[in-house]
Amino acid sequence: MEGMGLAYLGAGLGMGLAAIGTGIGIGLLSFGAMEGISRQPSAANEIRTTGIILTAFMEAIALYTLVVSLLLIFK
Amino acid sequence: MDMLAHLKPHALVHLHIGSIDMSISGHVLWMWISSCVIFFLFMFGIKRGGGLIPKGIYNLLEGLIVFINEQLVIPNFGKEEGKKWFPFISTLFLFILFNNLLGLIPGSSTATSNINVTGTLALMVFFCVQGIGIKKHGFFTYVKSWVPGGVPIFIAIPMFPLEFIGQLAKPFSLAIRLFANMFAGHAVLLVFLNLILMSKAYFVWIFPLSGSLLVTVLEVGFSAIQAFIFTILSSMYIGEAIHPSH
Repeated sequence: MEGMGLAYLGAGLGMGLAAIGTGIGIGLLSFGAMEGISRQPSAANEIRTTGIILTAFMEAIALYTLVVSLLLIFK
Repeated sequence: MDMLAHLKPHALVHLHIGSIDMSISGHVLWMWISSCVIFFLFMFGIKRGGGLIPKGIYNLLEGLIVFINEQLVIPNFGKEEGKKWFPFISTLFLFILFNNLLGLIPGSSTATSNINVTGTLALMVFFCVQGIGIKKHGFFTYVKSWVPGGVPIFIAIPMFPLEFIGQLAKPFSLAIRLFANMFAGHAVLLVFLNLILMSKAYFVWIFPLSGSLLVTVLEVGFSAIQAFIFTILSSMYIGEAIHPSH
């Protein structure tokens, strides 16, 4: 059980780095979505649906890291 | 970490068939309960309230079915094929939605927060995609549809293994996405409520409890969103196998 400290460190650090990427990605997406809605308000429904789908994509990538972190903690 | 001990499945009724462990855990029980809920909701919701202006539960169910048909089935399959695929897609959507929502009741287990359940659903989608592609186009034409047309042969040959790994990765990501979203939701809730225990004082109960209330409300939204995402991605993959875009 020597590497346990490193495993905990890796889990926490990895999740934090994944959160940076997700934050940037969703921020860029919402920038594009806001601009799209302001240019054509009648397309707001489609932009909203597409925005939710794309956010789920990006959160899934962050959650892959969560799965790896949980594996690191519990093994 | 006995804090997360609530998230591991506990067997309620132990039964072993041969050497296979088939004990009924909380996940299995709540999968059965959600199937019964869907069945009885639809069977008894349509008894009254039909007609030209729907009222009552029938209104809600009709809205759900129209939503599934308009947004999920028809854009990806077209009107003709959509009629054949509508039962499968609506079963996927309603199963995942009700399992996610019933997991928010305190004391229940979310069946979709088990990797086996989501893995099985993704495996079904994988077999549907490959099966319908092979059935409609023949094996070699379907495999050739993975690479875009008009590339030179020495680029197309290494593309097949890469594209095959991509085809395997898509259902895998479906399973992991649903599992991790549901699992993480409940884990966040547990961590919030453990703040009360960790602070060893009972007068701080208002803050973690209000935080956990907010997280539960967020989880309701996430349950519906994840069910929608799983279903729309699987119908996009199946539609892509039926009408390859390149």
